[in-house]
Amino acid sequence: MPTERPYLAILLWSILSIATLFPVYWLFVISVKPAVDLFTTPSVILDSVYWKNYADVLGNETLRRYMMNSIIISTGNAFLVTTLGFMACYALSRFDIAGKENIFFWTITNRMAPAAVFLLPFFLLFTQVFAIGDWKLYDTRIGMILLYCTFNLPFAIWTLRPTIDGIPKELDEAATVDGCSTWQVISQVIFPLARPGLAVTLILTWVFAWNEFLLAATLTSFNARTITTGLSEYVTSTGTEWGTMAAIAIITLIPALIIFSVVQRHIVAGLTFGAVKE
Amino acid sequence: MRSNTVGWLLLAPTLVILGLFGIMPFIYVLYVAFHQWNPFGFSPDMIYNGAKNFRRLVFDREFLLSLWVTLKFAFFAVTSEIALGYLLAQLFTREFPGKAFFRTIHTLPLIVAPIVVGSVWRLMTTPSIGIIPYYLDAWFGYELNIGRDAGAAFALTVIMDIWHWTPLVTLTLLAALVSLPKEPFEQAQIDGASKFQIFWHITLPMIRPAILATVFIRLMDALRTVDEVWMLTGGGPGAATRYVGLHIWKVVFPKTDYGYGSAISVIVLYLTLVMCWILYVALVAPRDRKKRTS
Amino acid sequence: MRRAVAVSLAALAAGLMGSMAPARADFWSDAGAKFQGVTLHGVTESTPPSNYIKDVLAPEFEKKTGIKVEIETTSWDQMYDKAIKDMEAKTGIYDMVYIEQDIIYAYLSRNFLVDVTKTLKDDPSLKAPDFDESHFTTFANYFKDDNGNLFGVPMEAFIKIYLYRTDLFNDPAVKEAFKTETGKDLAPAKTHEDYTQIAEFFTKWGKDKGEQLWGTTAQAHTGHPASWYEFFESVAPTFGVYNWGIDTSKNYAASVANGGSMNSDKSKAALKYWLHLRDIAPPESAASTWTEVATTFAAGRAAQGLVYGENAAWIASDSEKSKVVGKVGVALPPVEPGVMEEVEAGKGYIGYYDGGAFGLPVTSKNKEAALLFLQYIGQDSVQSGWAVAAPRITNTATYEDPGVKDMDAKLGGYYTMLKDDGKLFAGAPPYPFHAQVREATASIFYRILTGEVGPDEGLDQMAAAAEEELTNLGYRK
Repeated sequence: MPTERPYLAILLWSILSIATLFPVYWLFVISVKPAVDLFTTPSVILDSVYWKNYADVLGNETLRRYMMNSIIISTGNAFLVTTLGFMACYALSRFDIAGKENIFFWTITNRMAPAAVFLLPFFLLFTQVFAIGDWKLYDTRIGMILLYCTFNLPFAIWTLRPTIDGIPKELDEAATVDGCSTWQVISQVIFPLARPGLAVTLILTWVFAWNEFLLAATLTSFNARTITTGLSEYVTSTGTEWGTMAAIAIITLIPALIIFSVVQRHIVAGLTFGAVKE
Repeated sequence: MRSNTVGWLLLAPTLVILGLFGIMPFIYVLYVAFHQWNPFGFSPDMIYNGAKNFRRLVFDREFLLSLWVTLKFAFFAVTSEIALGYLLAQLFTREFPGKAFFRTIHTLPLIVAPIVVGSVWRLMTTPSIGIIPYYLDAWFGYELNIGRDAGAAFALTVIMDIWHWTPLVTLTLLAALVSLPKEPFEQAQIDGASKFQIFWHITLPMIRPAILATVFIRLMDALRTVDEVWMLTGGGPGAATRYVGLHIWKVVFPKTDYGYGSAISVIVLYLTLVMCWILYVALVAPRDRKKRTS
Repeated sequence: MRRAVAVSLAALAAGLMGSMAPARADFWSDAGAKFQGVTLHGVTESTPPSNYIKDVLAPEFEKKTGIKVEIETTSWDQMYDKAIKDMEAKTGIYDMVYIEQDIIYAYLSRNFLVDVTKTLKDDPSLKAPDFDESHFTTFANYFKDDNGNLFGVPMEAFIKIYLYRTDLFNDPAVKEAFKTETGKDLAPAKTHEDYTQIAEFFTKWGKDKGEQLWGTTAQAHTGHPASWYEFFESVAPTFGVYNWGIDTSKNYAASVANGGSMNSDKSKAALKYWLHLRDIAPPESAASTWTEVATTFAAGRAAQGLVYGENAAWIASDSEKSKVVGKVGVALPPVEPGVMEEVEAGKGYIGYYDGGAFGLPVTSKNKEAALLFLQYIGQDSVQSGWAVAAPRITNTATYEDPGVKDMDAKLGGYYTMLKDDGKLFAGAPPYPFHAQVREATASIFYRILTGEVGPDEGLDQMAAAAEEELTNLGYRK
């Protein structure tokens, strides 16, 4: 369905893009200025570029480790919750489970909790309950991957449910008649059709995990620290190092952008063969 | 219907994880909520005090005020995001040159961590030095001072939230729109329905579950916003942007009032739940009833 | 013969050195031998002094003792929360915690910390030969109990001082204009009246000349405790209101009616004085914490101001961050007549002596090894390098170091002031309920700043709120 007036669309999107981009551009501007220039009369145009902040960040071994942790935790968590959410939604949609609407609604309550108070029980769970001998769930990547399920799994279930419900039941019933197992139905019939929804869920849960700050700051310390918590190290009582912080923030956009462009293709794919053909 | 055991098995991992990491901490918080407990109080131990914490918060002016500004914030932010996000998602279902490029740009805000978002907006809006107050003053003679002007600070947190989270709405609604079957639309066009009629009678009912899910997610997240506002205004000026998540943060972190903080959290959780339940019943239940009767 | 003597002397010297050097090195390697494979964990705020521990002292210590040290640096509020949770839940994650001067009383009231003095006395084998408690500056007193036992090794210390722009104060044109306008000679203010006059003069000067210049800084954020601190730690004391106006001996009274002074006339006068300064300070002041105040001054936007000493160093010397390098003078904060006499008589203080120490939680699983590290960072020999890299002084041995003296000159005599006048400043009052009472009253304070509540009734409300919180906490009966 091509637009009748493509130029109007392009104009509109250009204006919107400027509004969207400006804060990100400003982040970049901050990252290439020495601190002394930040608190003077602002100018939209960059007249000189100061790369030292980037050199500091890229040369910092600890930050590279934080970045790696972030990538592993967010990716692990996004795949875990998308998979579990997909399975759960399929179950809720296709099986006659007692009280399923209540279960469905209950899942989302896990996302409602204000984080600050829950840090204490999480801390106790991670250091004293989920601990075997010297090993604790505290400060481990797997701990964070599991923990992020509390807010990401409800999200995955709620965004996937309309997608799965929207796929006509007749399709999997026909496949079952043809002799497919449940697993085959899920992987060969439902999965391809749910791809746009799954892709969006994957992206957004990844983003939520990538950006999470408070839980990671409390429940990690040396081994599993993520880059967002690393950022807060630059907000100190002797001054916020805006430049370094902005440089890290700009660098953290890169892996996120890669993930985005890879996964977004699947949303587009939905346009061409996602719609149900009879 | 096929065997329910398979259904339960598919659901099991979700239930186990949410049970361990969701219910267990909640029970603990509920338990603490019925105690007086401040590790730096005169007596640092947990003392059972019945529903005293809950009685206290009914008369707690600060808490009620923070609840009120949070509701206002959530209302303005979420309604704007849904309206804007839906329009943008609709635009993305069409073909135009440079679409992929614009889509990537549009999703950029999502990948900026909230504490960074707060920092950038703070630097952009620092009175007299930030670029926004500077040009507002130079072009319109308007003095934006988020340290002084409560209304401006509130509006700014809403705008920041819209900037940050509209892309999420766009994405979820886009996913819903592209998975819609084409036949009803083609049929409607053949029948000569107007654009508005198509939207009202076909699109909207079909993507209602997706809209609902998105509203829920955004509403819940807006109600517990902390990081961005913390960086931008710190809750000020006065208590103008001291949203309930931030308020709770201040009660349990610096004040270490675990007992009272837990009680507030339980109540906030409960209120969120009730709000969502009402929304859910109002929007989903009629559809289900219709289905059952038809 | 002579030669032989020389050779034998040299041999003797070499022998002596040979026997002495290992003896010195031996303590650390001997002491460390018992703790092979141990890794110590510490948590602190990511400030320059802490980063020096993490990047320089910890690796050095590891080389000498074989004990590995991992230091987690994080933000100010996170550091508290993590340390408190760990000690409260007795998980033993940390072997060392950063103790800011204002929270030590809370930690001591809960017996969270190991008594360093007593432990070293009980087990002399742990005592490092170069560690001497008596070498610390008087700042260490904040980390001692009633018996004089030390509970933390001081690692950073600053005073909040009065900074002024020497280039402006010494500019003949400015001086003359000031003289014509006020009839006085322009010099750093000694009284509040002078300070106000200078501030008004420069704000007007900046406006008339179209320059980005104001007369004073103000740490007046309307939603962050920084503003509360500026008033109670730096302004109210100079009017003779000490310890936040709370009198612990009178059943923790805060209001005048009950014997406190939080809402006394002096306190109200102090608040009005400061609010006026806030109004003639740069517009960003209403959103400024200690960070932005320092930045405002460093950007050359204020002629004078009260600035935390930890920032004084980079403002005066780091040209990558500051535009006023070499143009910074330091002075004692202006006071109300009579207050200096009171302070010299030991009855009060004129400003905030801030800083922190490294302490050892009783929940640590590696107490002995951690004690070694604490002594390591407390030795005289490591102080000068540390002081130059991250300007702070906690050990008297540091003042005489050439590198530090050099820096002192660059900072306009800040270190000399710390040494000579440090006694006029004081840390936070010894309250175990520090953050609790601050938060309970801060929200009213923010409303005073936004003008929702007048200063007089605002302070009345704050005194009532403080008493209510103290009753809730169980201190006030």
